[in-house]
Amino acid sequence: MENKSQNSKLNKIAYYPGCSLNSTAIDFNVSTKKLLKILDIEFEEIEDWNCCGTTPAHNISEELPIILSARNLLLAKGMGYEDILSPCVACHNKLHKASKIINSDSELKNIRDEKIRNSVFEKLEDMGFDCNQSFNFKTYSIVQFLFIKKDLIRQKYEELKNKIDTEVKLPILKNLKPVCYYGCMLLRPKNSIKFDDPENPTSMEEILREVDIKCKEFQFKTECCGAILSLTHKKAVLELSKGILEEATDSGANSIIVFCQLCQQNLDMRQQQINKYYKESYNLPIFYITQILGLALGLSYKDVMIDKLFVEPKYLKESNI
Amino acid sequence: MGNIDKKFKKIKDDIQNFIEPNIHYCYQCGKCTAGCPLASDYKYKPHQIIQLIKLDRIGSIINSNSIYLCISCEICSSRCPQDVNVSAIMNYLRVKGWQMGIYKIPNISIFYKLFLRIVGKLGRSYEPALILGLNLMSGKLFNDLDIAFNILRKRKIKLLPEFVKDRKKINQILKKYI
Repeated sequence: MENKSQNSKLNKIAYYPGCSLNSTAIDFNVSTKKLLKILDIEFEEIEDWNCCGTTPAHNISEELPIILSARNLLLAKGMGYEDILSPCVACHNKLHKASKIINSDSELKNIRDEKIRNSVFEKLEDMGFDCNQSFNFKTYSIVQFLFIKKDLIRQKYEELKNKIDTEVKLPILKNLKPVCYYGCMLLRPKNSIKFDDPENPTSMEEILREVDIKCKEFQFKTECCGAILSLTHKKAVLELSKGILEEATDSGANSIIVFCQLCQQNLDMRQQQINKYYKESYNLPIFYITQILGLALGLSYKDVMIDKLFVEPKYLKESNI
Repeated sequence: MGNIDKKFKKIKDDIQNFIEPNIHYCYQCGKCTAGCPLASDYKYKPHQIIQLIKLDRIGSIINSNSIYLCISCEICSSRCPQDVNVSAIMNYLRVKGWQMGIYKIPNISIFYKLFLRIVGKLGRSYEPALILGLNLMSGKLFNDLDIAFNILRKRKIKLLPEFVKDRKKINQILKKYI
């Protein structure tokens, strides 16, 4: 089977959307796919992918999340890919951990980890996969991937600049004064993902600089939003997310750019509840980085599904796009 | 030594030998607790949990709320000057609590079971069933009705479930853990 991943330039990758990207984070999914197309990246969705189990699987068993993610890795391998792009940070975290357990050149820490690997292989063989081969999976989150493609983004931007009349540049971009919010999952633990800085990351800002977007300084880049507690302990999320909105406002921003759909939903969907509970009047649109990049590279508001935002940008109501 | 004490002793040994041998280097600086977003809700704070392990008080930890509220944000591990992976320890204790049938926060335990049962049946998550199920089981039927209304209005949810072809095999595996 042709190994499509031999291409070290990462122009062909497997795509793992995960469950929420098909549902409540559809805007993230669509804007990402459209952005990849503009960048001439070929991607194939992993056929018959399964849920990675995310927090529930991770919190009740050590093996289960690895088995669930390993199945997706092996499905990708069956399609000829060992490079996998996973926009959902939680899914990426699980895929990455699974790849570290089953990759052939992975040094396992101790006999316990080896036991886990053997048990995982056993379950995969039960499912009909051939584990007697060499594995060299590399998993990418969207920010890591876009960071690698920074130069390409700049190149495309320069090409389009001459075609797009800058006077009619989309109002959202013209008036954008964003801060970048990274959340928890991607950058920690620092020894695992080995990308950017877990205390003061700058990768998003550097990517956005390639399309001439300047971000404000922000002290809460990696403060937790409350994540999955949104479903069981709402108050904690309201408090944590309020802190982020407050700090963004104090930093002089009028919007927040994110790459995690759980963060996006906590900050966007719950903004009205936060306003009510804390008697505030925050009005900060929470954009996905793929939406902003897409707009900068010529996509329309409809293309990147701006209308799915709960807190709509003012300019959206004013313009007719 | 009673049966449960043996189990707790094994947990302590596993932590010190395999999960995080660096636990010996903890000098109780408290940076983990200072960074933890939920520490104010914990009965025992992260740095106290490290000490409780060393003092053979695994039972106290597993029977209190901290490890079950923890959201694995990993700020604790990230900040530790002695490279103690506090998060891995919290996770291991949490998994053990589940395996022993002790999960101190009913809402969360209901959520996990519901989530994984749906994944078992379909192979993927199905948000409408998850949200409805949670509201029903937690007794808060009208919880977040405002958000649900907006989600439907903006068509931001997949109303039809998706099925994985190999879901039976996935379910067989899941059933062993739930």
